[in-house]
Amino acid sequence: MVDTLRAPERRATTRAREQSRARYPDRTGFVERPGGRIAYEVYGSGDPPIVFVPPWQIVHSRVWKAQIPDVARRHLAVAWDNLGNGGSDRPLDPAVHTTLARAANLEAVMDAAGLARAVLVGVSSSSGPMVVLASQQPDRVRGLVFVCPAAPIGATGRSAAVSFDEALPNDEGWNKENIHFWRRDYRAYLEHFFAEAFPESHSTKQIDDGVGWGLETDPETLGATKRTPPTVDAAGFAAMCASILAPALVIQGTHDRITHESQGAGLAAAIPGARLERIDGGGHLAHARHPIRVNLLIRDFLQQLSRGDTNARPRA
Amino acid sequence: MRAREPDVAGTVVAGDGVRIAYETFGSGDPTLVLLPSAPIVHSRQWKGQVAYLSRHHRVIAYDGRGNGRSDRPTEAQSYAGDQLVEDTRAVMDATATERAVLVGLCGDAVWPAIQFAARWPDQALGIVAFAVGVPLLTPPHPWRVQYGFHDVLETDEGWAKLNEHYWRRDYPGFVRFFFGELTSEPHSTKVLEDIVGWALDGSVDAMVAEGSVENPWTLEAVEAVCRDVRCPLLIVHGTNDHCQPVARAHRLAELTGGRLVIVDGADHLIPARHPVLANLLIHDFVRSLPEGPSA
Repeated sequence: MVDTLRAPERRATTRAREQSRARYPDRTGFVERPGGRIAYEVYGSGDPPIVFVPPWQIVHSRVWKAQIPDVARRHLAVAWDNLGNGGSDRPLDPAVHTTLARAANLEAVMDAAGLARAVLVGVSSSSGPMVVLASQQPDRVRGLVFVCPAAPIGATGRSAAVSFDEALPNDEGWNKENIHFWRRDYRAYLEHFFAEAFPESHSTKQIDDGVGWGLETDPETLGATKRTPPTVDAAGFAAMCASILAPALVIQGTHDRITHESQGAGLAAAIPGARLERIDGGGHLAHARHPIRVNLLIRDFLQQLSRGDTNARPRA
Repeated sequence: MRAREPDVAGTVVAGDGVRIAYETFGSGDPTLVLLPSAPIVHSRQWKGQVAYLSRHHRVIAYDGRGNGRSDRPTEAQSYAGDQLVEDTRAVMDATATERAVLVGLCGDAVWPAIQFAARWPDQALGIVAFAVGVPLLTPPHPWRVQYGFHDVLETDEGWAKLNEHYWRRDYPGFVRFFFGELTSEPHSTKVLEDIVGWALDGSVDAMVAEGSVENPWTLEAVEAVCRDVRCPLLIVHGTNDHCQPVARAHRLAELTGGRLVIVDGADHLIPARHPVLANLLIHDFVRSLPEGPSA
């Protein structure tokens, strides 16, 4: 008797089809929004429901592949794709990607999935729409988990000083975050980005995955997100943070080279009662590289919410 | 740091006076003995298996002579004849293990497990053979015999590093080359870092001594031993194994009637690179064994 098995986790950065998943959605749907259709997926059941809020469109909702199977054992979990990658449409208009538009999209996805209230889990620039919704619609947000958040607090991130649209004299380092380079060698940019996002050793699988997700969109679509006009300034962001009532957890890698460790610490300080958990040596996508650590932190946070012994301030 | 610490750690003195260090984990029938691929590595090679398997079974792992916490004899005779089989026997006796399933990887473990089962059929409940290393069953990979082990070579390139004199000049260079060749799958950086570390825990003198043992077997005698095995076998081999040819797995399955699992695209180190796959194969195999009298 001879059985032939396939070794799992084969390299698949230029994929004809998606990799297999540990957990498949129970149902999927679309929401019509200004700028196009947004795809969402619903997994599992159980309160409180969890919404995984998408970050920058260089990735899509598979960036939560290591969280969804765990969370969905105990909670209803919704994952969705921002306009510009994954199963969502790919508009070229920068105006559809503002922080306020992303917050409105988050609310629309919650409406479509039938969620009055949810715990929001995000990474990197998911922080913008999460802070907006928690501040402006506090009844819809049961709790907040930020992984390596982007915030206009603390040191600036990787490419703050690099012009996206001007031709640059060279392609060194973060000068690759430039439309002219993307048009020449988008893949090389993705490889640079994800190598910086995963500074930890033994990250080759995570880097391969990230490059693959980035290749599912294109330079012009992703470029639109780089030209989006700001709708929330630093002072406005700080004021919104200060008004948040929901319990909040910030999980921050100490070796974050995409945003900066001080942005996570700053966000935790700006949200009343928020708790900061550092992952020593962790990079920007700490939830992907350290899934068990992060999943257990999320699990503990959700259990504390259920028990009521949270850091929430009493409602005024 | 380990996922699972041993319940018992001990040493047993083999018949020739060499001390063998062992550890036991968990409880539950039947006992599984994880044989070492020694002296090149030691018992931590099974780190991906011990924590899982010991939830269901008593698991015994030991350091083969020449590495880990076991003695490191430097004479070829210490690695010749039945010594490795006798070490398995000694560890089972020291741990009051009457019967066990034997699990091994490559030549220094699979071949002793098969000899053990042929010699003491009542004590071997089953064999799990990863990366079948049974000598002579088929010709070796050509690169393994491209250069003479004892010859003084004019090159250190590639498989010329599989050479006594090179080892004495730069054993770490050999270890990194050798396991680099064996870990050919993507996303193997952690496996490679671990196994290079375990090899560097060892002793180049022990490696040279073991490498100097002349193979006393003929193909006919090897095949006869394989045919004598009465217990069930699970044989697991990757199609990209650069150490042991996959044809050896097919031949062993023919000789023993064992179940053969070919893992498409896998390299030599399936238990390390694909621990969930390996653990579930071991667990399902052990559960499929006929209920024997309790050990």
